[in-house]
Amino acid sequence: MIEALRELARRLLAEERVRVVIGYGQSSPQGPVHPLFITRAEDAEQLVWNRQCFSNLTAYLTRKDVRALGPAAVVVKGCDERTITVLEKEAQLERERVFVVGMVCEGMGDPGLPKCQVCDRHRPRLADETLGEAVDREVPALERYAALEAFLARPAEQRMAYWQEELARCVKCYACRQVCPLCYCERCIVDKNRPAVIDTSATLKGNFAWHITRAFHLAGRCVACGECARVCPVGIDLTLLNQSLARAAEEAYGFRAGEDPRVEPLVGSWSPQDREDFIR
Amino acid sequence: MSHAIRKEALRALVGSWLAEGKRVAGPVAVGPGRVLYQPLVSPERLLLDGFIRTVNSIKAFVFPRHEELYAYRFRGRQVELIDAPLPEEEQIVIGARPCDAAALPVLDHVFRWGTPDRSYERRRELTTVVTLACREYDDHCFCTSLDSGPRDERGSDVLLVEIDEETYEVVWLTSKGKDLFVRHTERADRKGTIGTGPKRKFDAAALERFLAENFESPVWETFALRCLGCGACAYDCPTCHCFDIVDEGDRHGGMRVRNWDSCQFALFTLHASGHNPRTAQAQRIRQRIYHKFRIYPDKFGDTLCTGCGNCSRGCPVHLGIRPVLEAISALERKPQSAPPKTP
Amino acid sequence: MTAPPVSADPATAPNLYLPDLMEVLEVQQHTADTKSVRLRFRNEIAAKRFSFRVGQFGIFSAFGSGEATFNICSSSTWKDYIEFCFRRTGMVTDALWEVDKDDTIGFRGPYGNGYPMEKWRRKHLIFLGGGIAMPPIRCAIWYALEHRDEYGEITIIYGARSTKDLVFADDLARWAQYDGVQVIRCVDPGGETPDWDGEVGFVPEVLKRADVRSDNSVALVVGPPIMIKLTMPLLTRMGLVDRDIYTSLESRMKCGVGKCGRCNCGPVYLCKEGPVFTLEQLKALPNDY
Repeated sequence: MIEALRELARRLLAEERVRVVIGYGQSSPQGPVHPLFITRAEDAEQLVWNRQCFSNLTAYLTRKDVRALGPAAVVVKGCDERTITVLEKEAQLERERVFVVGMVCEGMGDPGLPKCQVCDRHRPRLADETLGEAVDREVPALERYAALEAFLARPAEQRMAYWQEELARCVKCYACRQVCPLCYCERCIVDKNRPAVIDTSATLKGNFAWHITRAFHLAGRCVACGECARVCPVGIDLTLLNQSLARAAEEAYGFRAGEDPRVEPLVGSWSPQDREDFIR
Repeated sequence: MSHAIRKEALRALVGSWLAEGKRVAGPVAVGPGRVLYQPLVSPERLLLDGFIRTVNSIKAFVFPRHEELYAYRFRGRQVELIDAPLPEEEQIVIGARPCDAAALPVLDHVFRWGTPDRSYERRRELTTVVTLACREYDDHCFCTSLDSGPRDERGSDVLLVEIDEETYEVVWLTSKGKDLFVRHTERADRKGTIGTGPKRKFDAAALERFLAENFESPVWETFALRCLGCGACAYDCPTCHCFDIVDEGDRHGGMRVRNWDSCQFALFTLHASGHNPRTAQAQRIRQRIYHKFRIYPDKFGDTLCTGCGNCSRGCPVHLGIRPVLEAISALERKPQSAPPKTP
Repeated sequence: MTAPPVSADPATAPNLYLPDLMEVLEVQQHTADTKSVRLRFRNEIAAKRFSFRVGQFGIFSAFGSGEATFNICSSSTWKDYIEFCFRRTGMVTDALWEVDKDDTIGFRGPYGNGYPMEKWRRKHLIFLGGGIAMPPIRCAIWYALEHRDEYGEITIIYGARSTKDLVFADDLARWAQYDGVQVIRCVDPGGETPDWDGEVGFVPEVLKRADVRSDNSVALVVGPPIMIKLTMPLLTRMGLVDRDIYTSLESRMKCGVGKCGRCNCGPVYLCKEGPVFTLEQLKALPNDY
């Protein structure tokens, strides 16, 4: 699979179909896997593919310095692929300018990440070229939201105490925002100050305001790639927040972000059949 | 002869500090694979054995991430200012790493030059640092590349060095440290031993030569695409000290506060006019390296880095300082070669 | 490694971030988005203790919105008040825009190095300013005029985008009344009105055309980066040496005292070692401003 990936990257660059291949690299065989930008065909051999390829590389597609390089190829897993659909629907990228290399994925990490345990897209569906063989496993929605269900089963006071303890640790490094492929705002609301809506201080108040606002801005958009939680230096499980809104979207509207490129974005579309029983 | 304390006795001593109402902080597990220096509620959760490396540093205990500078109240067209009370609570940091403790005297320079920073000064006075010499290292550690090492005593009040699986040697370095331990140690005829530290990762002298001449260099572009521009490296760093000052309040009054800030954020240097001296991430990476390895040494005679490796350990894309310094070091070894081709 | 610095006694050290409270004496609007404010210390002891050098800056606060850095644009010879001038561009200046007589503003300072006015004695002075950068030359001009016999001829070239963008227009008129003072006002092409009696063109072009005395002279150039960049070589061609060409650099600042890590340009902390530099010093700085 890795040889096929390197060969594809080589071909795409040599034929000048793309100017950069965004993939995974590793500085040493034992070292951590990191995002890698290949701009010359002869460097394609530096690409790696293994169970440590956690990053959702689509986050780089909207960045100015990466766009400036020209058309890009990006290596995606089934979970990452969903962000491409969302970005396209939100007019953040022209699909034809991006060559999507899909990697069939048996799960990341050892043991697999929680998201990999309930993954129902081991094989990317929308890639321009897909490497590897595997069959998808249908995962019922209940299973995908099992961790959230367990959390929501706890009494409200306990849940509040949990968030107070967790969010008290947040130092506002914004790794969650910077790593998120859907946090592409030119100027984030927390960086705006006319008027200042969210305290920039890393206090409980400022942290609640920040994380709740961010979760709401991701409602119906977050594809649950889990990068925000993975990179959080202080280990806050932000997927719980995002999942609760994702579940609301799925329950109320049968909508899963990035799932179907033919479906219009949840928050950006309206239909007379939309549920409105939550408006009181 | 040396002073020693048995490990259970140390834990009991920590318990007695807590019982006395002292604020004690040390490494605590907050989740799978994540350890933070946090205020302790009980001595049991304190992590001391094995390779313990916290995500954060101990700087937060002398330079908190959020601090009130003073309060203001509106009184008609007049304003009343209420100075922030000086910190009063004594605190003990136990299980600090030498690379964390060594950062404190480095920070002293900037907070003390010119106009001294009162609350920093006060917290330094109130803080006793009990450091644990390192016997184990990981790939990110590079203290030995910066003339430091696993038993660096700078910034510590007490240094604990493991003698065996049951006992630490207690080396008190200040009277503050001695006061904490003096009645709780026993005589020992053995001294604690540690190894030589992590292997050297780059050549500091070569780095110095490189920075003298390469403010403009393609090397700064090497990692710019990959860097996400978050502040994790700066906030996990024991020596990064940049801050922001903002007002928080309502129409009756509020507080002026200082918050940690990072030179890696795109808006850090944005002028009101719209001009920004550092529009590219490459410039911001360069700034961080220059500040630590040239500007600070030139100004204060000290490096603004202790080699703890936190910036790399906590980086979402496995960057931080070490990979950049290694790339520079490699360039200096082979001056003819071009910088690494692929970022 | 140098010896660690000596610690101060926190019990007696003042809170360096605590500002003095200032009473607003007067607000003057110059353009659609520019105002200057005249301030007096509310506390008399603070007023007596205060002194500054022209070219230094202060950190001014609108409580509830925050602090911003401005040059003190009044002359240090004026003892009863200080002035600063600002353009409305952000949260703090939005709040300052609403300020009226008798209101309260916070002030910390003075900070920075200021102009070496003593060194400039017995020299001819050339002041070149653009747009909102008038305030940092205004303080030096008034200082020189208040010590008229200590300085030679004075040339002032001040340019703005249009006639509507000139700040301190009344001062420009008053300076022209002094003996040995040449005031040239200019606006960018297209920015003039039919009754405009000044020059049309950018500051560097106007400088080229003007009859400016350049022997035994020092020049102070303050304005947008592009203006500074184009003006400095002209001064060099006129015969001024690099150490006689001065500028004041703008930077984003927070603490003002070399701690917050925001304003460094290479090895130089602009708040402490700037903001005033000679071209000679500027050439030694990296391109980081």
